[in-house]
Amino acid sequence: MTRRVSPWGIARTLLLWAAAVTVAFPIIWVALASFKSPAQLNDPGLFLFSPNLDNWARVFEAGILDAAGRSAFVAAVTVSISVVAGSMGAYAISAYKAGGSATRFGILAAQVLPPAVLVFPFLTMAYALRIDNTYVPIIFAHLSFVLPVITWFLIGFFDAVPRSLEEQARVDGFSRFAAFRLVVIPQVLPGIGAAAIFGFTLSWNDMFYGLILAPTRETILPVAIAAFNTFRGVELGAMSAAIIIAVVPVVIASFFIQRRLVQGISGGAVKF
Amino acid sequence: MTRMTRFRWGMLAPVLAITGVAVGFPLGYAFYLSLTDYRLTSRGAPDVVGLENYFFVLTDPRMWNAFSNTATYVIIAVALQTLLGLAIALALQKQQWARDLTRAMLLAPMFITPIAVGLTFRFLLNDQLGALPAMLRSLGIDYDFFGPGNALFTLALMDVWQWTPFMVLLLLAGLESVPRQPLEAAKVDGASAWYAFRRVVLPLLTPVLTVAVLLRSLDALKVFEYVYATTRGGPGTETETIQYFTYQTGIQFFRLGEASAVAFVLLAIVLTLIVLLFRRLQRSAAR
Repeated sequence: MTRRVSPWGIARTLLLWAAAVTVAFPIIWVALASFKSPAQLNDPGLFLFSPNLDNWARVFEAGILDAAGRSAFVAAVTVSISVVAGSMGAYAISAYKAGGSATRFGILAAQVLPPAVLVFPFLTMAYALRIDNTYVPIIFAHLSFVLPVITWFLIGFFDAVPRSLEEQARVDGFSRFAAFRLVVIPQVLPGIGAAAIFGFTLSWNDMFYGLILAPTRETILPVAIAAFNTFRGVELGAMSAAIIIAVVPVVIASFFIQRRLVQGISGGAVKF
Repeated sequence: MTRMTRFRWGMLAPVLAITGVAVGFPLGYAFYLSLTDYRLTSRGAPDVVGLENYFFVLTDPRMWNAFSNTATYVIIAVALQTLLGLAIALALQKQQWARDLTRAMLLAPMFITPIAVGLTFRFLLNDQLGALPAMLRSLGIDYDFFGPGNALFTLALMDVWQWTPFMVLLLLAGLESVPRQPLEAAKVDGASAWYAFRRVVLPLLTPVLTVAVLLRSLDALKVFEYVYATTRGGPGTETETIQYFTYQTGIQFFRLGEASAVAFVLLAIVLTLIVLLFRRLQRSAAR
């Protein structure tokens, strides 16, 4: 198959290569830095060197995996609540037009709220209820932005399910809720999976609430990474290793969900 | 009909309940805080001081400085993201070879925790230790990324690195739902690729583009991690953004009342802008 190479085609390829290099270079450079000794870190142009694992040992000693575990726990609880409540709500909005078009706008408007508005009430309430050293405040804080986003995505997926499916199930004697749970949900399961992973990364990535609301001795991952920046000066090598630990799982996750996300959004999530 | 209404509200109840606890209540409480002299350090009940906090912050030049820094940041970052995002989305749509891998790779930055992005660039762009200044120096260019006059722009570029993928994601989805027929009709009529893009694709893409720009602007307004990781507001107060300023006032200086007042001033401004935007959109849609 021979095709005439157009100038647009060349420009397109060049653009994509430039974008790929721009995306990859900082990550690769930090990954390399995580294997450098303190002396080697002073030479930014060094690409070939004998790697050592000291930084990685330091990071694991500092309990980065525990912090990652706590982040994963917070994210998992947040996403579980969001998926159950969000799929029910999204279905009511999509199929039964609950709340009218105001609901869709309201969900979008929730994105306006700066975390700085909400964080202080969470903090003072946590003190008042004596739950300031638990994960409850941070989970609620994360729900404030994960739940709207997941609901918003799911509305798009439910919009794509034909209404006749539910009507048929009702004729077959299912209750409304049973039709929703047993007939409609399986249709959007891949979409729910993608939305759940997306919500997980949102919670996993948040530092602002974590910095203020998470228990001081048991920080979550982003706060733990930031700690390598301030505690006894900057530990560049260890910090680099910690960054890579935070980056790898989400980049792998992004590979699996990108196609679903594109589908979900083009399915109607960007309509009002 | 009543059973259907009951089902409808029953399904909506969990979302409404959680949103009430996680958004509605804190929002109301924050408003109350903004009317008091609440300090994290003081014991006992706070005094209600009415609008005093608002008068104080509205006449505080540091707050207006933070507002203008944030506005500059948002405009530079979102403008660049929109242009780049549109170009990359158009290129990716036609890309066939290693399609999923290319897309996943180009979308990856938006999934990385912003503090990691901030620290990575702090390191990468560092005057002595960073790879990029070293490369530029070997070309004879001396550029201090975090120096006076440059730092805010550097922060905006970090935002571009991380969030252009979000634009690409939304625009790609938008492009994929653009119907083929009008485009083919334009081709049959002998329209050039540029003309077809400008007259057929772009108008169909406008709704998605609007939502994408809106979502990105709202999110960029919340910039905190990059500032926290790199400049901490400096040099001087050149990169002090709203979110960082609020954090400092509330958490480092313990003045929750003032911090909440700043947050509500921000909320009022943003909501006004959004309402104006929607008015204009509705008017242009009606035309």
